[in-house]
Amino acid sequence: MIEAIPHTLSTQGWWIVSRSSAVVAFVLVTASVFLGLTMAGKPVRKPGFAKTMRALHEQTALAALVAIGIHVFAVLADPWLKPGVAGVAIPFVLSLNRFWNGIGVIAAYLAFLLGLSFYLRKQIGARLWRQAHRATIAVYVLGLFHALGAGSDTGSLLFLAFAGVTAIPIAVLFVYRLGAARRNSERQRLAARAGRRAGARAPLADTLYDTV
Amino acid sequence: MTTPRPRAVFIGSLSLFVVLFVVLTFELSAGASSSTGKAQKTAKARPAPAETKTDSTPEIEEEAPSEYAEPEEPAAEYVEPEYEEVPPVVTTSS
Repeated sequence: MIEAIPHTLSTQGWWIVSRSSAVVAFVLVTASVFLGLTMAGKPVRKPGFAKTMRALHEQTALAALVAIGIHVFAVLADPWLKPGVAGVAIPFVLSLNRFWNGIGVIAAYLAFLLGLSFYLRKQIGARLWRQAHRATIAVYVLGLFHALGAGSDTGSLLFLAFAGVTAIPIAVLFVYRLGAARRNSERQRLAARAGRRAGARAPLADTLYDTV
Repeated sequence: MTTPRPRAVFIGSLSLFVVLFVVLTFELSAGASSSTGKAQKTAKARPAPAETKTDSTPEIEEEAPSEYAEPEEPAAEYVEPEYEEVPPVVTTSS
């Protein structure tokens, strides 16, 4: 077996790199999405918790982008697959597992766009960035389907166990976040209405105070 | 709580990548050295190269010679035609 390793690496090295980086990318995207949803839901209100979560979320997201980049480059360099630049850059061009690889390309674009938009949030506006950032769950969902449909290692029990075990809390947290976002917007609406009423009464109150 | 260092995440990811790379290399090498089992599994994971071409490269399709198959027809059984017995018409000629 040892003597077969150089031959394996020379013929299938890029495939091994693409498979390994894909698993790493999926694990990191899962971790990043999980941390992001946990942060947004604010289930723990300990001092320093948010800061730690934010740092971990950012680091896992950046590491995931690096892993996705390596995965794309390894697929491009695979001498057996020969996808060409169009095959990895344009969704649904690669005819091997056309649909599943197509959604993988879309997931990669979304990951870079939504991930790196964090550093441009001052330019695009915090509100718009926050709205766009909510779509990051799509990166995870598309990535999961891409892995299940086109992945070489998705038949392994370990991968299926990881995907299944992590998908459930992510789904629960996502639903919790949607509920929290709805409650927040309702609270803001009520606060704005109360503010308007208080603003309308303020001059009268001031006048009264002045006269007393 | 202390803020985690970015290096920890990168080292963790890199370690996972290296472990996967080594495991897959050994798995594929083992499959290559033994002609059955995992080699077949690998072949299943990587389908025929003809399928992997992109749309930009024209494909020349070769039609496989089709085997002539004799159409199977059920053997027709002879069925006695049913007919009514018509009584002979007697015509009288004067």
